[in-house]
Amino acid sequence: MASATTTKGATGRNTLNAILFYVFLVIFVLVSMFPLIWIFKMSIITKTELFASPPTLLPANPTGADYAQIFADTAFQKALLNSTIISSATTVICLFFGSIAAYAIARLKFRFRNTVMTLILALSFFPAVAIIAPLFVQFSQVGLIDTYWSVIITDTVFALPLTIWLLVAFFRELPVDLEDAARVDGATTIQAFQKVIVPLAAPGVFTTAILTFIFAWNEFLFANTFLFDENTQPVTVVIPNFATIYTVDYGAQAAAAVVVTVPLVIMVLIFQRRIVSGLTAGAVKG
Amino acid sequence: MTTASGEGKERSWFKEEFGSPERRTAYYMVLPALLIVLVVAFYPVLYGVVLSLTDSTVTSFGSFVGVENYVEMFQNPDFRLGLSNTVIFTVASVALEFIIGLGIALAINQAFRGRGLVRAAILVPWAFPTVISAVMWRLMFQDQVGVINYVANAIGVIDGPILADDTLLLIAVIFVDVWKTTPFMALLLLAGLQTIPGEVYEAARVDGASVMQRFFRITLPLLKGTILVAVLFRTLDAYRIYDLFWVMTSRGLDSLSTFVYEGVRISQLQFGPGNAAAVFIFVTAFAIALFFIRVLGMQTSTEE
Amino acid sequence: MTGIRRERPGTPEARRYSRRDFLKVGGAGLAGTALLGAAGCGGGGSGSGNLVFTMGTDTSGTLQGLIDKFNKENKGKLKVTYREMPTDTGQYFDKIKTEFQAGQSNIDIIGGDVIWTAQMAANGWVLDVTDRFPKSEQSKYLPAPIESLTYDDKIWGKPWFTDAGLLFYRADLLEKSGFSEPPQTWMELQEMAEKVMQDQGIKYGIVFQGSNYEGGVCNALEYVWTHGGDVLDGDEVIIDSPETVAGLETQRGFVTDGLAPEGVSTYTETETDPAFLGGDTVFARNWSYMYALAGTSDYPDVTPEKIGVTSIPTVEGAPKANCQGGWNLLISANSDLQEEAWEFVQWMSAEPAQKERALSATLLPTRTSLYDDPEVNEKVPTTVVAKTALTNAKPRPVSPYYSDMSLEMSEQFNTSLKGDESPEAAVKTLQDSLQQIVEQAS
Repeated sequence: MASATTTKGATGRNTLNAILFYVFLVIFVLVSMFPLIWIFKMSIITKTELFASPPTLLPANPTGADYAQIFADTAFQKALLNSTIISSATTVICLFFGSIAAYAIARLKFRFRNTVMTLILALSFFPAVAIIAPLFVQFSQVGLIDTYWSVIITDTVFALPLTIWLLVAFFRELPVDLEDAARVDGATTIQAFQKVIVPLAAPGVFTTAILTFIFAWNEFLFANTFLFDENTQPVTVVIPNFATIYTVDYGAQAAAAVVVTVPLVIMVLIFQRRIVSGLTAGAVKG
Repeated sequence: MTTASGEGKERSWFKEEFGSPERRTAYYMVLPALLIVLVVAFYPVLYGVVLSLTDSTVTSFGSFVGVENYVEMFQNPDFRLGLSNTVIFTVASVALEFIIGLGIALAINQAFRGRGLVRAAILVPWAFPTVISAVMWRLMFQDQVGVINYVANAIGVIDGPILADDTLLLIAVIFVDVWKTTPFMALLLLAGLQTIPGEVYEAARVDGASVMQRFFRITLPLLKGTILVAVLFRTLDAYRIYDLFWVMTSRGLDSLSTFVYEGVRISQLQFGPGNAAAVFIFVTAFAIALFFIRVLGMQTSTEE
Repeated sequence: MTGIRRERPGTPEARRYSRRDFLKVGGAGLAGTALLGAAGCGGGGSGSGNLVFTMGTDTSGTLQGLIDKFNKENKGKLKVTYREMPTDTGQYFDKIKTEFQAGQSNIDIIGGDVIWTAQMAANGWVLDVTDRFPKSEQSKYLPAPIESLTYDDKIWGKPWFTDAGLLFYRADLLEKSGFSEPPQTWMELQEMAEKVMQDQGIKYGIVFQGSNYEGGVCNALEYVWTHGGDVLDGDEVIIDSPETVAGLETQRGFVTDGLAPEGVSTYTETETDPAFLGGDTVFARNWSYMYALAGTSDYPDVTPEKIGVTSIPTVEGAPKANCQGGWNLLISANSDLQEEAWEFVQWMSAEPAQKERALSATLLPTRTSLYDDPEVNEKVPTTVVAKTALTNAKPRPVSPYYSDMSLEMSEQFNTSLKGDESPEAAVKTLQDSLQQIVEQAS
């Protein structure tokens, strides 16, 4: 930070600034991470310690009982599986329809390109709660209530704007020459898309997949509306009601929250560069 | 004459659009995505409007009752409370997120050691499922096991349990939202800052502009586009808040969305007003978006 | 689309809920997505002698055993399949409701919460069993569950197991402060609690469930009833009375007088257990299950010997009233095998099955005779220590719109408990909104 040409006094001030800056960073990182750390602590202490007042700062007798309990709980296993199924299916379907549409919007010329894009993007302003009642009525009639499909369909629709937005941005960055070359060689539009664009766009598609997956994994409103059953409910619905017949087990709830969040945190840490580039794509245009 | 030439013109663009195989392919390619969106999102909105004008219930389609449901909705004290909570929540959380987010973005808009760690710290709250963070924070605010409730009472900031007081609860909800989304706001603003070329500042410095002058004359104007996008997205997100209120306040505090949910999903008798409120949210959210685009001049073009 | 909807020809209910017009308007847009959904539809159903029975997840794991036993006894004739439902009663009801509303349920027998009867009966979802279940049979069961099954002067099912709000007290602490008997009135409770808190430095006098949910309604209703108030008299809303106000004032008074923790307005059973069994509180209002938790590894200090269980206190001269909970057995009006379903209901509600469920899952029977059964008494001590309280419980208002009434009640009771509104104001608001619900219903 301090450049080589600064004078001695300025260096002193810069050192102070640098210290303040890092103090600020440490506070910032701590505040961001605090809930996760504290909930982890809650998940490894005994019930007696959990209800102790004043609360202990460090766990007195760490125990894995809560983790043992939730992993022995078939309902929780089922919820993890449901979340995985719903998020994966949403991601795949979304990428399939999204990449086809995004390619056309990014690369092909047609009259209603902007109209189509605006319509799809308008969805991101859409209050999802506005359509839960009509969808509930319609889904009931066709027997979709309490099936994975009810949530996969709605998640897909609401993830599409993000998917298409990101993919359009990625596709536009790809060199046009390659496609033209492919087309000169006699490839059709579809072939150009498959052979040239798809492999080149793989990193962008991958980033989009991560973001879509996280979106679906975290979705709550639709799941809480359309699913009533431990057989279909994802973790986001199960954990807030982590209950036996009468009571919520706070320790188990904390452990479950950690289990559900840690994979996301790891994913975020590994792919942070990609995620940041994805999140800011398009939002910032000079 | 005019009609004839108009028709001719129309036919020519129609021919141009659908005569060319490449353009036809383009339409085939966007059609599936467009259809899904129209069928699953836009059609239900229209259907919701119809429902809100009838005395339908979940099970039976009713007859037309005009604006009766809307009248009933506005008379419902829970709706009015939900509306005011939502407005307070939206204004307060977006304002705080913007100010703090901009501060963070300005502070970390430089190369420094530990950048990766900070970026990770930024992304962690963002990646949390909102309901899970609501559950976590609720546990920390709770009066038997909650560390924050304990500390706040011990140092005398508050007197009494946070969850049992509606005002404190609303503040707590805003706080959690700020915790969760400020980093995201900072990230967007930081990306915007990085598009401002350094030479601009260099030139200003040579001209003797102070730090403040540089911020207000250069940074803010050049950042306007990014700010509008970020603030609009956050405003609409906050305005339709559901999960945080539903889980963190354990139905103790209504937002507009939880009012709709209770009406259409829990109650047997409030289906009409619930649907009216759903349409209300849709229309007002649309108006907010229009305000940003028209009045504040947000760029919406997708062209480069 | 019609291919997916499984209607039962010949049952009037299927007709009533088929709503063709509605389908045309609403379903048309989803024709495409329907194709995707077909694969997700549940199977099962009632063929020849195959019955489907629904009940929330059975944490004790004994229900399946009982059903197996029934199937064995009726081998070749009847086979009951247990379809597990959500543990949360609200979610369970949502699910049942949606299936019946869509007219596509394959359920024959329903294990249903005591508060569901009126709503299910009014919608024509469950079978009227008045003729099969004569008064002479009814008298073998506790009165409250029978009352919870009675709607429109007919009876809609058979009682299965029951529960009631009980007053738990720390007998050891009371004795140390010189009280040999538990309190009979709210006034006595307050005096005892204050003395124990002062003498022995106990943090709180009483905890209960005051949160904005169904349990909060049960708690507040106990205060209302024991002060002489009530919610409904037939179809008439009578909640706005000085008695109701007095009841809510007593409840709120516990908070303002420092007996109950200030956070009690956010408490459910979850918060009640540790507050009482952790040793911080003299009295607790809770359901009978809490007795079994005393002295377990989570709560080693407060052992069963230290606690007593009794009826909810009342005011001088007024009757006792413990809010009733529990589950009934109902038969789906859509079932093709109503006779067979009835056979299962008979078997499940009979003494042997109830006894086994009491012994293995410590659930409280609805058969009066089992309260004098030594084996049950030994395994489920609350049948001895709280016998009168359990057998004299009072059901919540029976109304087809109970769920909406409950939403209003829980909100207003909670507002009053928090002190955001005075009990008078809350009761006034409640009178109006309940009146509106009753009017809308008729």
